[in-house]
Amino acid sequence: MKNLQKTYEVTQKVERLFEVTVTQTDFWEAVLYISTQTEFNTLSQIACADWIEEEHFLLTYILTTDARDKNLMLKLTLGREYESMPSVMTLFPQAEVMERDLHEMYGIGFEGNETLYDFVLEQWHDLPPLRREFDTLAFVHEHFAFKGGREDNKDVKVEQKRRREEAKKQKALEAAKQEAKKQETEKQETEKPKEPNTHATDAEETQDKKPDTKEAEDGQ
Amino acid sequence: MKFTTIDIKGIISPFSAIGKVLEHPKTVCYPAQTKTVAPGYRGFHTNILTDCIGCANCQDVCMNDAIDMITIQEEKNPKNKSGCIPRIDYGRCCWCNLCVDVCPPNSLALGEVCIQAEMDSNKFLFFPKDSSC
Amino acid sequence: MDSKLIKIFHGPQHPGITGNMSVELDLLGETIKYARTHVGYLHRGFEKLVERRTVIQAFTIVCRICVPEPDPNEENFARAVEGLAGIEISERAKYIRVMVQEMSRLAAQMLWMGGQSGSIGMGTVGQWSLFDRDLMLDLFEELTGGRVYHMYTYPGGVRRDLPEGFLLRLSELLDYLEKKLPKYDSIFFDNATFKKRAIGTGVVPKEEALKNGYVGQTLRGCGIRRDLRKDNPYLVYDKLDFDIPVFDGGDVYSRALVRRGEMRESIKILRQVIAQMPAEGAIMQKLPKHRKFTLPKEDIYVATESARGEFGYYMAGDGTEHIRRMQVKGPSLIHGFTLLEKMLIDEELSNVAMIMNSLGICPPEIER
Ligand code: SF4
Ligand code: SF4
Repeated sequence: MKNLQKTYEVTQKVERLFEVTVTQTDFWEAVLYISTQTEFNTLSQIACADWIEEEHFLLTYILTTDARDKNLMLKLTLGREYESMPSVMTLFPQAEVMERDLHEMYGIGFEGNETLYDFVLEQWHDLPPLRREFDTLAFVHEHFAFKGGREDNKDVKVEQKRRREEAKKQKALEAAKQEAKKQETEKQETEKPKEPNTHATDAEETQDKKPDTKEAEDGQ
Repeated sequence: MKFTTIDIKGIISPFSAIGKVLEHPKTVCYPAQTKTVAPGYRGFHTNILTDCIGCANCQDVCMNDAIDMITIQEEKNPKNKSGCIPRIDYGRCCWCNLCVDVCPPNSLALGEVCIQAEMDSNKFLFFPKDSSC
Repeated sequence: MDSKLIKIFHGPQHPGITGNMSVELDLLGETIKYARTHVGYLHRGFEKLVERRTVIQAFTIVCRICVPEPDPNEENFARAVEGLAGIEISERAKYIRVMVQEMSRLAAQMLWMGGQSGSIGMGTVGQWSLFDRDLMLDLFEELTGGRVYHMYTYPGGVRRDLPEGFLLRLSELLDYLEKKLPKYDSIFFDNATFKKRAIGTGVVPKEEALKNGYVGQTLRGCGIRRDLRKDNPYLVYDKLDFDIPVFDGGDVYSRALVRRGEMRESIKILRQVIAQMPAEGAIMQKLPKHRKFTLPKEDIYVATESARGEFGYYMAGDGTEHIRRMQVKGPSLIHGFTLLEKMLIDEELSNVAMIMNSLGICPPEIER
């Protein structure tokens, strides 16, 4: 650990997990140094994340100690355009499978690894599937048919709106009827003018809406 | 291990399995005898139609797109604004219980029935059993 | 190539494995001269699927990554999300999670015992151990509502509280298992047939075990005491008292004895959990904005000791409600290839299934 802190800037992420960032050109030197001079001498995973917005892959070599009590994330960024990395197979034989996996899933080359043939996908000529631009849904639509019998699905938002408008119309109709009635009665007794009943319907409606939205929020 | 000495214990002891003959069998003979499932088992859905408000929260959260919202035949809940209730495609559902977790009036639940056989896979679309009556 | 060699495919379906994976073998008579593994029968693309889902939607599929023991996956996923979001879970939830982990470890060892004995033609042991596993699954059914895929360990805690009297029933089952384990000794672990076949077969070279990153029984079977529960403790494992069984032979038999010892230790841990479990306390820390829960733009690596070794998850969030990347490292990813291919050379054809089972190779987690 001390050796490592002398040469590289180490940040602690959480308890027993450390992070070192290097550049692509320094990588080989760093991994050689760390695996021979520090306690982090075993590789337990090579992780890769595709940051398509920033146009790079973030490769993370997760190294661990002989005592298996700490992990170190050795990070570097790599361009997305099918670039290649030096293979770490000579240092860690277990890297063979991981590099094969990354080669297949992201199209990253590893110089020095002879086994970069098919891993889990057989005769795959499409884009490497874990790159972000590979669209699973489009792939599924292209290659598979969906089961029928589910076309009567309704969009609830549309349905709610439609029903609310229907209800409104209904109400307006009733209100109009009542108005007509009232006007009739008003004609008969013209002494006491009443409030216009449009207000009343408005208030009713807002009251109606409230429980709906409230209940929907409960589930969030 | 080299077999210079004969491993007598290792040869004799496996025969103790014969003692199992005397034990009472624990098999559940299925159609005659059914196993009761534990309370809280995640079987087929049930829905209290008098409570369901048709909010489609369950449809939104279901990551398998297993839920369709279908217009209800006979309205049981005046508060149901959309007039729709969920229908579940058991070809896709994984009984994860998320739709139950997000249901605002707690009307949707997973019941104890879990056996269904059909010849036609398109028949696996179910309205949850109405548990209000 | 020698014209006397015969090429056969061992698998994809064979008793040595929980899933589908084939080994291409070149045989000279009964002896293997060259072996190459082929995977790809079980690729389901979980890592890609997770990218399209929100956090709580992704939670429901991670358990499907490994069939024999789904719980370490859920634990890893939950701990990765908690680590990224900085959520601290309650003491009671931690104890419940340890309980679930150990129950699942016991169930997985039972399943392994069935596979191991089946691969050398002892059907009886498998029948017994799968029955006992079923008793464990009954308890899981009560606790979580599902038998195999529990979907129980949730980011922020666990999903349901313990049912009434659950701990009592659990300790009854533990009593039963404690009585049952010596019977397994007499019919399986002490069995002369098993010993004769297993001792000296499938030896892991001790010198390269640590350097090559082997995990679990592969390490402990050749005399190296490594267990994440002790070395890098998570949850409340540092408060519990247990041993790590270690045997020296490096062969199939040593690994079997290690597993036998682990069953005993799991029972011991479960007893302590039952005794120490806080009776009161929240089981779930609500995630903020539950359905639209966002992860910060950070990454993390977490690891859990499963029944077969270290299960690691790398997870990266990107500031939206989706997970940018979740990469799974199953325990058998490393020794399922390089080690197996080396180990099978000069073995007999009839031992292939036994060796694969003893290493705990599990294609579902290799291919995801
Ligand atoms: S079942 Fe629940 S979540 Fe689904 S529409 Fe009805 S009230 Fe909403
Ligand atoms: S249980 Fe899960 S998969 Fe099934 S309908 Fe509900 S949310 Fe969808």
